[in-house]
Amino acid sequence: MTRTAIALTCLLLAACAGVLGLSRGGPQPFPHRAHATAGVACTRCHAGLDASPGALHIPDDAACATCHPKPHDARPCLSCHAAAGALAELAEARDHLVFDHQQHTAPTRGDCMRCHTGIAEGDDHLRPPMATCFRCHAHDAARDARRCEACHRGLMETQLLPESHLAHDGDWMREHGARAASSGDLCQTCHREAFCADCHGKTVPALPATRRFADPFAASVHRAGFTARHALEARAQPGACATCHAPARCVACHTSRGITGDGRRSPHPPGWVGPAAADNEHGRQARRDPAACASCHDGAGQALCVGCHKVGGVGGTPHPPGWSSKLPLAALPCRLCHPVGRAP
Amino acid sequence: MRRWPVAVVALASGRAAADPLQLRADALATTAAPAGLVTLEAIGDAGPGLSAEAVVWTGSASDQGRTDVLVMALRARTAGGRLAGRLGRFVETLGALRPIQIDGAAARARAPLGIDVEAYAGVPVTDGLATPRAWDWAAGGRIARTIGEVGSIGVAYAQQRDDGRLASEELGVDAGAALSQRDDASAKLAYDLANPGIAEVSVSASHRGRAVRTELYLSDRAASHLLPATSLFTVLGDVPAQHGGAVATWRAAPRLDVIADLGARRVDREIDPAIALRARLRLDDLGTSSLTAELRRDGAGTDTWTGARGAARIALPCSLAVTTELELVIADHDRGLGRVWPWGLAALAWDRGGWQAAIAVEGSASPEDRRRVDVLGQLGRRWGTP
Repeated sequence: MTRTAIALTCLLLAACAGVLGLSRGGPQPFPHRAHATAGVACTRCHAGLDASPGALHIPDDAACATCHPKPHDARPCLSCHAAAGALAELAEARDHLVFDHQQHTAPTRGDCMRCHTGIAEGDDHLRPPMATCFRCHAHDAARDARRCEACHRGLMETQLLPESHLAHDGDWMREHGARAASSGDLCQTCHREAFCADCHGKTVPALPATRRFADPFAASVHRAGFTARHALEARAQPGACATCHAPARCVACHTSRGITGDGRRSPHPPGWVGPAAADNEHGRQARRDPAACASCHDGAGQALCVGCHKVGGVGGTPHPPGWSSKLPLAALPCRLCHPVGRAP
Repeated sequence: MRRWPVAVVALASGRAAADPLQLRADALATTAAPAGLVTLEAIGDAGPGLSAEAVVWTGSASDQGRTDVLVMALRARTAGGRLAGRLGRFVETLGALRPIQIDGAAARARAPLGIDVEAYAGVPVTDGLATPRAWDWAAGGRIARTIGEVGSIGVAYAQQRDDGRLASEELGVDAGAALSQRDDASAKLAYDLANPGIAEVSVSASHRGRAVRTELYLSDRAASHLLPATSLFTVLGDVPAQHGGAVATWRAAPRLDVIADLGARRVDREIDPAIALRARLRLDDLGTSSLTAELRRDGAGTDTWTGARGAARIALPCSLAVTTELELVIADHDRGLGRVWPWGLAALAWDRGGWQAAIAVEGSASPEDRRRVDVLGQLGRRWGTP
């Protein structure tokens, strides 16, 4: 049985290897290692590093033909001998990085692999990671001042994701709140004002999931069938809604949709409010998620509560033991139950 | 009173609208509310130190029409990055305190010894272009200090008044550290000063390996401290809800990511699992075509549910793409609203040059509607850098 399972797994992996990226039927990374071990200097193919800082320095077919005079295929060499996306990645780097090879050839003594460290191992990513730059360049002041434009051009348009710190992996939608607290200024180096306001703004016309409905991978809160499950999610995370929405948001939406409002029966189950302790489920639920109560009963609806929960009232005090507030009795909501000048 | 920042920014943004100037217009129409929505966005960068941004929209739902401003802000910064400021309408996030959208101003100064000082003041934004209340305001400040090259720690304070009454007064403490190239940690705590007690705590720590990134997280939230201090429901005491767990993101294959989120929720005395398993498969090296699948088990008490979601985006010739997204939620308990709620959307999108267009059909069954089918359409145009 186990052997069968292993065999089936291997068969499945082999069948899906191409889709998973485990085997490559298309363009291959350029064999830099073979050329380096054959003693071919980098600048022999990547000519002009010292002369034209704006160019990509990608060798053309003529450069290859100096050593490989009989091409085995009529197509351009790099259409097969370059990893998919590698050339586009380089073009993006040229457009969005303040960098000049010319200034680096002398300090590195022409040793390109001091920066392009992974290239000999067949690394698809020809562009060195940022940490490589920091090995030699002390950009601490620029980094601390968030002056990213010292090296990056158009950072907000490139949509690069941080590779090491603040990696936007896993459940970043949940995680970003804790991360952004101490890194808010860092977030602003890539994200414009509208990016935060798209979800956290009070005047959001429609969330990204709605406005970009044709992109199921767009980052957004409340995606897919959230409307159907929002009540379940709200009850499982008391207060979560209140971190963005005003308490009255629920009743405003429910009233406009005709779900709740005047003339409709109470949504509460039997035993919600009653004379006996066993009939007062509302107390336990209210402590558990007071924001849910406030979503309907806040403002004028509070009169319903203070009818019983007042000094001398049948509902008794709603305060738990040890509860305190710095608000004066004359302030809301204290004065609803505690007339000014009267001891609590 | 609330209109002055808008006017100032409108004047200033004209000066800031040098190259590169980016403009974007989007129109969304749907048979569900909002029935129509037009969004206009403009971004002007006058060099690295000055930029302006505006997003305005107008929309209608059934017989109601509305126009509003999401963002209208001018950002300025000195050449060395020592001073930075924003003016207009924007979302302000001050350390551990909750984000707030204001019409006002914010500034940040970098002092010697790695000390940062930031502050904001303004009028909290409410729905609509005007508010009848004259004494709504919010102000806050934060001081933070970097700890070597490892991280930073900050303390923030903010107060908000609605119609002159104290609505919120909070103290926040935040800390973040990059312990190594592979390890991060961050934490934030918000303390309610109006009704003393912890409002929210959030902790996250992650380790990034070659193929696996793991994260441990914990949050604690007391709903009564998140309500405005003027609400009667703030007097009910502290019954916090906790959520904690671990997330592992595994690059199982060059094009396949697998994410497992194993957590639990505690609400009052009840503890329930909160589990999510996700996988995303890129069908090409650039990820222009992708598939994703997700299984979830979540909820608390009698509100637990199980869900599945799948989505696909397949790139077609001629700048076309077809996308689909399906979700099925099965609630454990029937509250007379049904237990099985499917949702699905199928769309055809076109993106070429500066134009974007999409059309979709959305179908669902929910506690609100036994069955519902809507049609959505979108047309967008970009000018300048996309």
